[in-house]
Amino acid sequence: MTDIKHHAYLFDATRCIDCRACMVACSVENNIPMDKTRIWVAGLGIQGEFPDLHRSSMVYHCMHCDHPDCMSACPVGAYTKAPDGPVSYNPDVCIGCRYCMNACPFGVPHFDYDKGIIEGAFIDKCTFCPQRIYNGQEPACVQTCPTDALEYGNRDELLKKAHERIAAHPDRYIDHVYGEFENGGTSYLILSHVPFSELGLPNLPETPVNEVSEKVMEMTIPFALGWGAVLTAVSAGVAMYDKKKNGKTAEEQAEESK
Amino acid sequence: MTQTISRRDFLKLGTAAAGAMALGQMLPPLVAQAAREAGQLNAEGDGFIHSMCEMCVWRCGLIAKVVKGRVVKLDGNPEHPHSRGNLCPRGQSGLMNTYDPDRVLTPLVRTGKRGEGKFRPASWDEALDIVASNMLKIKDKHGPEAMVFSSTHNLSQPLFENLLYAFGSPNYGTQRSLCFNAMIVSNLMTYGMEEPGRIYDDKLKYILLTGRNLLEAISTSETHDLITAIDRGAKVVYLDPRFTKTAAKATEWLPIKPGMDLAFHLALLNVIIGKRLYNAAFVEKNTIGFDKLKKEVSKYTPDWAAPLTGIPAETITRIAQELAAAAPHVLVHNGWRTSNFVNSFHTQRAISILNALLGNWDVTITEAAGEESGVLGVPPQPPFPRISALRLDGVPWKYPVVPFKIGVFQELRDNIVKGDPYQAHGWFISRQNPIMSIPDRGKTIEAFGKMDFIVTIDIILNDTAWFSDVVLPEASYLERYDPLLPVGDKVFLRQPVIEPQGEAKSALWIYKQLGERLGLGDFFQYADEEDYIRQQLAPLGVSLEEVKAKGYAEAPESAHSGEAAELSWNTPSGKIELYSDTLAKVNFPGVPTWEEPPTPKDGEFYFLTGKVAQSTQFGTQNNQLLHKYSDEPRLWMNAKVAARQGLADGDWVEVASEVGKIHTRLLATEAIRPDCVYMTPGYGHLSKGLKTAFGIGASDSAVHVTYTDPISGSQALSQTFVTVTKA
Repeated sequence: MTDIKHHAYLFDATRCIDCRACMVACSVENNIPMDKTRIWVAGLGIQGEFPDLHRSSMVYHCMHCDHPDCMSACPVGAYTKAPDGPVSYNPDVCIGCRYCMNACPFGVPHFDYDKGIIEGAFIDKCTFCPQRIYNGQEPACVQTCPTDALEYGNRDELLKKAHERIAAHPDRYIDHVYGEFENGGTSYLILSHVPFSELGLPNLPETPVNEVSEKVMEMTIPFALGWGAVLTAVSAGVAMYDKKKNGKTAEEQAEESK
Repeated sequence: MTQTISRRDFLKLGTAAAGAMALGQMLPPLVAQAAREAGQLNAEGDGFIHSMCEMCVWRCGLIAKVVKGRVVKLDGNPEHPHSRGNLCPRGQSGLMNTYDPDRVLTPLVRTGKRGEGKFRPASWDEALDIVASNMLKIKDKHGPEAMVFSSTHNLSQPLFENLLYAFGSPNYGTQRSLCFNAMIVSNLMTYGMEEPGRIYDDKLKYILLTGRNLLEAISTSETHDLITAIDRGAKVVYLDPRFTKTAAKATEWLPIKPGMDLAFHLALLNVIIGKRLYNAAFVEKNTIGFDKLKKEVSKYTPDWAAPLTGIPAETITRIAQELAAAAPHVLVHNGWRTSNFVNSFHTQRAISILNALLGNWDVTITEAAGEESGVLGVPPQPPFPRISALRLDGVPWKYPVVPFKIGVFQELRDNIVKGDPYQAHGWFISRQNPIMSIPDRGKTIEAFGKMDFIVTIDIILNDTAWFSDVVLPEASYLERYDPLLPVGDKVFLRQPVIEPQGEAKSALWIYKQLGERLGLGDFFQYADEEDYIRQQLAPLGVSLEEVKAKGYAEAPESAHSGEAAELSWNTPSGKIELYSDTLAKVNFPGVPTWEEPPTPKDGEFYFLTGKVAQSTQFGTQNNQLLHKYSDEPRLWMNAKVAARQGLADGDWVEVASEVGKIHTRLLATEAIRPDCVYMTPGYGHLSKGLKTAFGIGASDSAVHVTYTDPISGSQALSQTFVTVTKA
């Protein structure tokens, strides 16, 4: 689907029946080990007292953020944000430091403690099924969804669709598309009938966290170089002072002590 | 055409080839070659093959991705009306059934005691000879009726029926009486068809679901239809003692008391008739027996139903009025079963009749063609021998209105144990697990003990195979052909997408081989699977190659009654029978009538079972992919009741009925009525040959008490009462 400029998902919690077909499909498509998963069910589940009950649940995987925290935290550049959406991970570069796990506000990257350093591929997360989306297929989770709770397409169009749904059924939806602005925008957009916190989603500012942190981090090298220059100057000054005071260099002193 | 061996030649080679394979000799990749010739696979053996799912009976169309002769992914086929490009979790996990490490790969012959699980591998020749000679020995000594045949609904069932009727046995067990006999028999009595089709169009405004948990018991296309209807704003009223995932999406959830669905529906009929809310023109023209119905339901007022159901009278009246206001764009869904009690037949009749009174015919329900199509060819065969022996399951001598091909399975088991009216000596089981599926498991094992010979055909060592004398390994649904399936104006093909694992064979092959050994070869006049399908396709003038490439063929649909000027139904009167003379003649009430169901004593609970999206009955718990994403099967109990009983979430509890007890862990939840407990069925396997499933959960069948609805033969699956104590 070459016409997709920004690959994205739209998840509608009002249509999801928690059947887990997406989870099985992902496991098969990506050959995930039996004790691992790249998709999770989240949310508070059944709420209330019998018989006044409601249910809050959703499925999620990597949100493919427009400003990925995993990528900015990674010290070795193992993460890449493609201009058309997907955030990908390169196991050949990864050193297994797990900074990305701590950085991701959604807890997506998972560390594979079973694999040693030699085997590589420490981190596991959703890839956006590049083998499918660049061959005209939907991602495995979307393709199989029996209720179309998961949809795939151009981010702009999915956002438009999401707002149209809210406008058509204002009584049904929370008037917000999660991921439109959260953390600077994500490629996994969420519609819900219950507050997003009940689905287990964090309340994130519109300014991506890493925009702030990166600004600080960008200062590291100039700061380091500057501080280095200061220290060099100071130590040079001290050495000069010493030399003046003793009238000898360190080498000369060493010679003497033999 | 080519020098290489064709699939047909391979099957002719039969056991010689199988023997060679057992020695580890590689055979030519036949499926791959056929697929290559049809343009589905490239030279490397990679590509996409269209076929059909068999993880449940809905049969979605699928597209299998094959890489170097291995199936690596299944996707829904967008062209198939049952899948529309989607698959449920079971469908997605299908390749794990095929690649299950516990697959039976050779015929097995028992060496230890029954149930010990000791088997030795055997060649097909030897195993088939053992089966045929034992069947013939039983026939000679006790008559053909001493052989019982049972199989769960599948596409090769016509050939299974050929085997049993040609052999001359009347004893045919299906799964249906454990599932939806009440629904089928009520529709037969009302509309003259097993299950009318349901129409979910844009105009559908109101859906009443009675225990039909469509969002967990997934039928892919219908589940999609329901969610879409909800999304569009249709009202969904859902009756269930449990807050299921369907309840969570319904507009209105009514946690009705188990066994009281009938009272609710009778009260709806009372209001709709009493307030003249029905479609009088439709009723006048197309139904018979309205006056008798009116007289009977006049006593079932909402005030009468309220204390029985736990639903306020005004709610019942309101729902009746809403249904009438939305008619005919209303679907009163039969479900496959309600909460099953001995009165379930009347519940189902009341539902069928509600649709008639509201004039929904050809708007939300319609004639369904079923799986039989007049357009397909059939291989020639002689007439079946006359069978004069009584059926052990009481059809028709005890259950006069239950169709022969449906039967009453639990009664069959009971009469095997009793040896009444005669003793059965052999059991031929295909693709079924009666040890787990029939209520009162201990009694089923006792029935097995009465058998001189038991043979089971399956892909894994299920619990029934575990107790069998011979196990014949079937090819999985991704490895074999089955007869064609008509759906609408197309016929769909199940074809192998990979070679069978080990020596597994298709049911079509196994039945034919056995038929020939039993001297019944004339009933299996096809050279091999492809030849059978070619004979089916002959009247359509379509080649098998064409069907293999597309996965389906166009087939003219048989004439639809809806297009005729006058509607008619296949009932004795030709009309929709609100009053059934057929029922009255055999001394059953001709119109739906209240029957008070039993209720639990103090300290007892209704023992309910249901469905989850990650398993199909008793057959999928060993699938590792489904196991991975399934919830732990626990006993649901209302949280407040649990607290009162001193039970905490996660406690081990003993669940006991009059026939058995089990140990399982408790799930304390608000999502169930205080007088009920619930357990996901299908766990607690006995077979140690199921390495993934063995040891997980407990068996509902070990606890279920056998109660049979006297009219439809349905097992009253919710009529078991249990005590729950700390284990």
